[in-house]
This record gives sequence, C-alpha cells and structure tokens, in this order.
Amino acid sequence: MEDESAASKCDFSNDSSCSCPICLGPLIQVSYLDHCFHKFCFNCILRWTNVVSGNHRTPISSVKCPLCKRDNFSIIYGVDGTCFQRHYVNANVEDCFILSRAHRYRLQCYYTEQGFLEDIFNILQYWKSCKYNQPNNWLQSWLTREIQALTQEEDVDIIVHHIFGVVKALWTSREQKSGINVPENKQEEFKMSVSEAARPFLGARTDRFVYEIQLFLASGLNIEAYDAVYIQRLGWSSPGVNTEVSQNELIDRSTVIPYLYIFDDDSDGNE
Amino acid sequence: MQASRARLFKEYKEVQREKTADPDIQLVCDDSNIFKWTALIKGPSETPYEGGVFQLAFSVPEQYPLQPPQVRFLTKIFHPNVHFKTGEICLDILKNAWSPAWTLQSVCRAIIALMAHPEPDSPLNCDSGNLLRSGDVRGYQSMARMYTRLAAMPKKG
Repeated sequence: MEDESAASKCDFSNDSSCSCPICLGPLIQVSYLDHCFHKFCFNCILRWTNVVSGNHRTPISSVKCPLCKRDNFSIIYGVDGTCFQRHYVNANVEDCFILSRAHRYRLQCYYTEQGFLEDIFNILQYWKSCKYNQPNNWLQSWLTREIQALTQEEDVDIIVHHIFGVVKALWTSREQKSGINVPENKQEEFKMSVSEAARPFLGARTDRFVYEIQLFLASGLNIEAYDAVYIQRLGWSSPGVNTEVSQNELIDRSTVIPYLYIFDDDSDGNE
Repeated sequence: MQASRARLFKEYKEVQREKTADPDIQLVCDDSNIFKWTALIKGPSETPYEGGVFQLAFSVPEQYPLQPPQVRFLTKIFHPNVHFKTGEICLDILKNAWSPAWTLQSVCRAIIALMAHPEPDSPLNCDSGNLLRSGDVRGYQSMARMYTRLAAMPKKG
C-alpha cells in the first residue's frame, strides 16, 4: 500500500526507487521478486520472465533479477496489507499451490460478521443433540483447506494432524464420560482445546476459526454442500462459475473491511 | 512497440537532462526514428584508444528493453572483441547476459570498459586476439594505436 501511494506521489522526482527499472516509468501494480525484493511494474517483470523462459527449451523455475542477478522463484504482487498474490516462474509450481478460488472464499468468510448462518446451521443444537457422537468424515479435508487459506501455505499437514488429533481425542473422551457432561460444558471444552491447539498457528483468527469449525460440524454436510449454502447466504456467486466478476467481488469485499488480523497477535493476548 | 517507444523516450529525456553528466559519452537519437541512435565515445585513457573518438550505431528492436539493442562500431577499431570489417561487438550483455535494466547510456559505458579490458579468449578479431594471447602486448598496442590515429582522430590539414 505504501509503495503504491509513494509511486504515485513521486512521478516527477528523480528517485530511482520510485520508477520501474524496466520501463523507467512510475511503478504500476508494484511487484517484488521473492528473494531480492527489487521492485518492478507487474507487467514489466512478468514480460521479462516470459522472455527468459521463452529462451530456454526446458521449463525454468527461477529468473535472475534484472538489477542484482539473484535467482528468484516468484513474483509477489497485489500486496494490500492483508494478502498478496504470487506468480511462480515455473507454471508447474503454480499448479501445485496457489490460493484457489475456494481458498479465497474461505479466507473472505473471516471478514464477515459472525453468526449470519446460525439459523441454518445451529451450533447449540449440535451440542445439545449430541451429534458430535457421529464423527465427521469430511473434517480432515475441510481443516486442510481452511488452514491453507488462513496461513497461505500449501504444506499444512502437521497443523491439520495436530488439530484433527485434538478433535478426535475429544470425541473419544466424550464417549467415555458422555453421561456426565452437559452440552454447554462439552462445547466449552471443545472450544478451549481446539483454540489452544490452533492459536500458535492462526493467531488472532483462532476464535473465528473455532467458530467456523463448529459451524461446519453443525451443518452435517459435506464440503461441497456446505460451500453451496455458505456462498448462497453470502450472496456471492459460487467458486468456479463466472470467475472474473465474482473474483472482483471477492477482492472488493476484502478491501472494504481492512482488518489486519494476521498481525494482531500481540493485542489478542491483552484483551 | 508502444512500450519500447515510451521507454526510449524516457531515455531520450534522461540524456537531454544529463548531457554533461558523462563527458565521455555523447548519445544522439536519429531525428526521424527513435529506434536509431548513434553515440560518440572517447577512448579510455591509458589505453591505445586514448585520444580517439569512436562512433557507435545503435539499432533498437521493437521488443526493447526485453531484447538488447544491436550495437556496432562505425569507426574502425583494432580490438580483439570487435569485428574489424563490420564493427560487430562481442559482449555478453549484448547477447545472453542482457538485462532490461541496462540503458543505451549504460551499454556505452560497458563498451568503454570493454575497450579498456579486452577479452582475447573470445575474439572477433583473431589477429588482435592472437597478439594478446601470445603475450605480445606491445604489438597489439601499437596496432591499436595506429588504427586509433588513422580512424578515430580528427585529421589535420
């Protein structure tokens, strides 16, 4: 954000840090190379990357910075303080992991008001009716996607394993003392254990994550059906359909509510 | 095409603004074609090219700066990395080591550096390269000085 405003401010100054070394003009859509962090216009560095890979017969995974010659593997762009996007030099790497539309929709959910789905998926009812005694087959996949979206990392197996393990332990322990605990206590126990397990990885988004996981369990639906209901309620078009329009819509929403959740860790503990 | 034109125009303005910044280089754009430039560079001191003024011709491709400009000497020069007849220059940054962050001005600087530090192991001018590779520095220098005097210095009288 800073860079964009800086670039527009100092068009006329001679400061080379404000102009793109490729077009020599003011930076448009500031982008960074992932290792040396030199700045370019997104289109300029993308074109150069394409030229370089076009000169090689086999796909390349890195491109040398035009300024410092360091090897870089991706272009970072669209930095808005909350998230950023990445273009990998090697398209195959890009196929492996980049936040998919489904991931982005999940991430956007964390910017909405909590509770607008409770008339459909009743969390309290879920605990009262002891539905948790039927383990949810889709929870692990759901957790993987959710944590990928929140951490913007591909390899989240360890975190998923950890959190899923905590949930499973709760399920089994609940079976043992199901006669003793009242539903509210079980819910509290669940909330405490899961947030304890998740907080080191998710920081200030933990509480909402614990809410979302209960919402998913309460729905009793598989991931596709759950997404369909969620997205319909949000009033967004579903992922995969009419990508251009809905993508802009998603981006709009993220800019309307500029929470910097990821960086809120410290304040969280004081509250 | 549009991008290269815009970028060359930026370089043109920069050259106009900093005309006196580098007295060894004088870059001039063709009056009618922004893709054609000529440069006059001074032979670096303490080399056989000292005192000479060498003319370079730039032909800028439409994909510039994603592709390097083509540069050749118009002035005859005796140098291992410059073709004696065509003036073609063997310099890595004009081929596979090109980076779009180079400018016409910085390419001129690189050519001046090449004049001061010949690379006899990748010669375009074998006679010149062989003299240096066989250790006959004096032979190379006197040949180079002679051609500088013949071709790169204003004739008197």
